[in-house]
Amino acid sequence: MGSLYSEHLTWLHRVPAAFKLLFFAVLGTAQFLMQGHTALVISAVACGLMFASLGRATLSARKLLASVFLAALLIMAFHTYLQQPRVGMVSALRLSSAALLGIALTLTTRSRDLLDVFERLLSPLQRVGIRTERLSLQLAMMLRFTEHFFVVWKRLDDAHRIRTGKAGGLRILAPLTIKMLMSARKAADTLELRLGE
Amino acid sequence: MKSSRSLALVSLFAALMAVLGLIPKIDLPLGVPITLQTLGVMLAGCLLGSKRGLQALLLFLAAVALGLPLLSGGRGGFGVFMAPSAGYLIGMPVGAFVTGWVMSMLPSSTPRGAALSAFMASALGGLLVVHAFGVAGLVKLANLSWTQAFFGTLVFVPGDLIKCALCAMVVHTVARGMPDWRFGGRAV
Repeated sequence: MGSLYSEHLTWLHRVPAAFKLLFFAVLGTAQFLMQGHTALVISAVACGLMFASLGRATLSARKLLASVFLAALLIMAFHTYLQQPRVGMVSALRLSSAALLGIALTLTTRSRDLLDVFERLLSPLQRVGIRTERLSLQLAMMLRFTEHFFVVWKRLDDAHRIRTGKAGGLRILAPLTIKMLMSARKAADTLELRLGE
Repeated sequence: MKSSRSLALVSLFAALMAVLGLIPKIDLPLGVPITLQTLGVMLAGCLLGSKRGLQALLLFLAAVALGLPLLSGGRGGFGVFMAPSAGYLIGMPVGAFVTGWVMSMLPSSTPRGAALSAFMASALGGLLVVHAFGVAGLVKLANLSWTQAFFGTLVFVPGDLIKCALCAMVVHTVARGMPDWRFGGRAV
């Protein structure tokens, strides 16, 4: 399964993941605390320019970007309809700016680097017995199960089509769940041999 | 439950969430889409219980935050946590936790009993709790008033009640097909 990360290298790719995460978190929070329209417009323009500076790297996020702007437009239209155009503008600016920051982070940071930051951030939880080092193993298993889900779904759907001539749809959800729970038990037995617990 | 079994089940339900996200979404004017992923929240709570249901949803959201396009419509990355639907996303792990907790309190010794309990637990955790967070998100992120956000979220309720019924149906089938399965995370 492909990530939204862009292989088209930009200046933001060179900034360390932890620094980007911290900077974007602070800036995103500041935008939600800002009340002045001018400050918000300046901040939104700055976010837009930063995003535009990424050039071709942003192409893969076009659909995501369109849905964010559509949501912002709908919110603005809704507030304008309620005679609160200023509130609408503030909401739309905040949303678009914060989303641009988030998308820029995702486009320019490898999942592995973000995962490292997450594991470091979560490491204090190890003191209370939470196995944070297993996050990457769980993510890998999740992706493997996702593929397996599709294979089993397709098989059940084909079988249903042969029997009834119609697509299985949500009717195959229950047998799919049972098959996947059984697969999870088998995977757990294998893991038990490997991890010893 | 053994650690390896817990690990496998948590990953499995995070994967189920991803699969349900690939079924096309329907966009509403509030900027919040109708998706099948709340069904995943309900199933995780009913079948895994509160703790592992919560873990499965947190794992799924971590994968989304890492940039994997796992939400309906191929959305992913940090940007989705800034959208009007962010409240619903944050409500998902809490919803799974509450669903699992309620499920563990209700009877599930017979398939019919388990299905009825699953419907009630899903309605409380997967519907009420997720929507409560969703409304708070709409108020904070879309600047709607509480009343506007409340009436806005009502659009989703009929669809979510159908999902509660679907969840109950799946639980009923699991109870018949896997009689040793203990719902609400009691034990496997």
